[in-house]
Amino acid sequence: MALTTLWDVAYFLASALLTLVGRVIPPLAAPLSNGDVIWGLSALVFGAILLAASMINTIMLIWFERKMLGRFMDRRGAMHVGYAGLLQNFADGLKLFRKNTFKPREADELGFYAGPIAYMVTSLLMFGVLPISTGWSDGSLPLSMLLALVIFSFAPLFIFISAWSSNNKYSLMGGMRSAAQMIAYEVPILLAVVAVVLVSGSFDLNTIVAEQQNYWFWGPLVLAMVVFAIGMLAEMERIPFDLPEAEAELVEGWNTEYGGMLFAFFMLADYLRALAGSFLIVLLFLGGWTLPTYVPSALTTFPLAGIFWFLVKTYAVFGVFVWIRAALPRVRTDQLLRIGWMRMIPLSLAAVVLAAALVLVKCLPVFGCIPSMGG
Amino acid sequence: MSEMWINMGPQHPMTHGLWNLRVRIDGERILDVDPEMGYLHRGIEKISEDRHYNEVITLMDRTCYVAGIAWEHLYVQAAEKALGIAPTERSDWIRMMSEEFQRLASHIMWYAAFVQDLGLMSPFLYGMRDRDLILDLFQSYTGGRLTYEYMRVGGVRNDVPEGFTHRAREVLDWLEPRFVEYDRLCMGSDIFRRRCDDLGVLKANDCVRLGVTGPMLRSAGSKRDLRKDRPYSRYSQVEFDVATADSADVTGRYLVRMEEMRQSVRILRQVLDWLDSHPGPVLADHLPRWLGAPYAPIGREAYLLKRNYPKGVGLSAIEEPHGEACAYVVNEGGEHPYRVKFRSPVFANLSAAHHYLVGYHVADIPPIMGSVDVCVGEVDR
Repeated sequence: MALTTLWDVAYFLASALLTLVGRVIPPLAAPLSNGDVIWGLSALVFGAILLAASMINTIMLIWFERKMLGRFMDRRGAMHVGYAGLLQNFADGLKLFRKNTFKPREADELGFYAGPIAYMVTSLLMFGVLPISTGWSDGSLPLSMLLALVIFSFAPLFIFISAWSSNNKYSLMGGMRSAAQMIAYEVPILLAVVAVVLVSGSFDLNTIVAEQQNYWFWGPLVLAMVVFAIGMLAEMERIPFDLPEAEAELVEGWNTEYGGMLFAFFMLADYLRALAGSFLIVLLFLGGWTLPTYVPSALTTFPLAGIFWFLVKTYAVFGVFVWIRAALPRVRTDQLLRIGWMRMIPLSLAAVVLAAALVLVKCLPVFGCIPSMGG
Repeated sequence: MSEMWINMGPQHPMTHGLWNLRVRIDGERILDVDPEMGYLHRGIEKISEDRHYNEVITLMDRTCYVAGIAWEHLYVQAAEKALGIAPTERSDWIRMMSEEFQRLASHIMWYAAFVQDLGLMSPFLYGMRDRDLILDLFQSYTGGRLTYEYMRVGGVRNDVPEGFTHRAREVLDWLEPRFVEYDRLCMGSDIFRRRCDDLGVLKANDCVRLGVTGPMLRSAGSKRDLRKDRPYSRYSQVEFDVATADSADVTGRYLVRMEEMRQSVRILRQVLDWLDSHPGPVLADHLPRWLGAPYAPIGREAYLLKRNYPKGVGLSAIEEPHGEACAYVVNEGGEHPYRVKFRSPVFANLSAAHHYLVGYHVADIPPIMGSVDVCVGEVDR
């Protein structure tokens, strides 16, 4: 059996496991070889692989950011736990895990605990939808991009719930800012995505990447990419748009009252969203796991080459975000909203019109001739 | 959201110290502010009354923890006037050099904290990195990096070590290009200008009315600088310009401090040249024994002390990195000062908070308060 897709791998692992259990405990062999049982366990294994992959990537992303920020700041970043600090974040996570989780007396219990958990879970859900290589998801989701963006936009709701229920003025203000900001930047993001859909003719991320075999979309859709990237920056709440957690005035923003594991959930979910945002940029504009055809085939045919190149691109995109973080101050709330509603939305509308015009005059294949854009 | 009071402090990232800014807000807009100080009061003025003249210097380092040596300078000048002692010439130049290095260190520290409040992360570390070089210099001739205990009534404790001026020049050579970098990260950034322009405006006449001094006053276009207006130490013998700006806002204060750092470098180069060519004693001769180490006069000696030593008062005012600081020392005879009183520039600058905060946004509080350069140690004393 050729293990070409992630589902195949999960199915293979699940059936091997069940066969093993059947050998050891013969009476269980018959019920365990039932197709539904194998399918159910493969689904679990599939999910576990996705979870592990996204978690490890997220933690490595944090390490990457710390090291890169360190270099920007003329220092070395985490150095002491593991080689070059590779295990520092695991140590930090373990520390937070061991900490006591406490709740302010006046806080609303349900919202206080449910908020971070729901935020974390919805952030993780993204990775069930985003493919990082051919065969990663089974391709049965024709609207996968739309689904990804829907899940992405859950966040302000949960942030606001946890901010409001922690019964703290700073949290509330941070939550309000966060909700306002995310809603303001949702619109340009969706409009920028419309431009991609116009050019690719599909809502399916696999198809969108396949359409970029000839030219990556950042060429024709450079305006849409800029809008999308800036919008993503705001959605991720990173500097210069990290107002909801502006620590100078709002202490820690909407997670002021959180500590221990609940805080770790917020932190992790933030970086999960950052990872998902970088994934989306790579998928929509930078050709996903494909490389231009003129690169030597040795670079694209080694095992897991697709995943490798996809991650390289993802970390490069995230690296730009880190660079921005190292170089820019944060803007003010009213300025942020003004940029969102008065600059980004017209720009994204222009991007849509531009994309439609490109499709109409059928000049898109031209971009395939420009070497730097793939093709 | 209806109006509410929030307490920014005493434990809050914006405060840079231990004080409380109560803010009444409507949404993001500031309606009223009420600065509360006093959380760091240590009774330095009262403690001074029970110390020998030179022992008070230890307290001066604790008065302002980012500009310790400037406060030492302030105090020793007042004490010398009260006691009728004159410092040696070389020690006076060394004091001036120390004050200018301290101004550089303090302004760099201010820059680091200020940009950090704006969310700019890297310059914070650049600032700390460069300030460290100045602290290394301090360490090489005072032994301390934060609390120096270096100046003495009648001079300074010791001369600068051999090769010091060379090292100091190297540091200055390193610092000057850094100021260009700092500027590029701030004035070159559109977001920075959007955050800081026309923010926290306090016009010159309001500054004078409220007793606001230092870079805040100069950013409003006033050329008031005690180093020029009432030259103390040897400031009349060095060339420098008073940095001013016209905008009276946060950007103006930023520009004034940046220019002051450049002027400090200019002063320091002249001072280092002077120190190279003028060796000499750094502590005056024939100082009374009881100025220094703990020393309890007994019997006839104590009587003579109380009877013969001249009484007097001493007033000194210096342009401290934060503004105009003033010290008043009363000598009623005897080995302890009778009364020591300080005027803290930051106390006045902070007290005027209502006039430059109301009407702006909550998000504007960190840059505005950052531009004030709060040092709570000297506010509460």
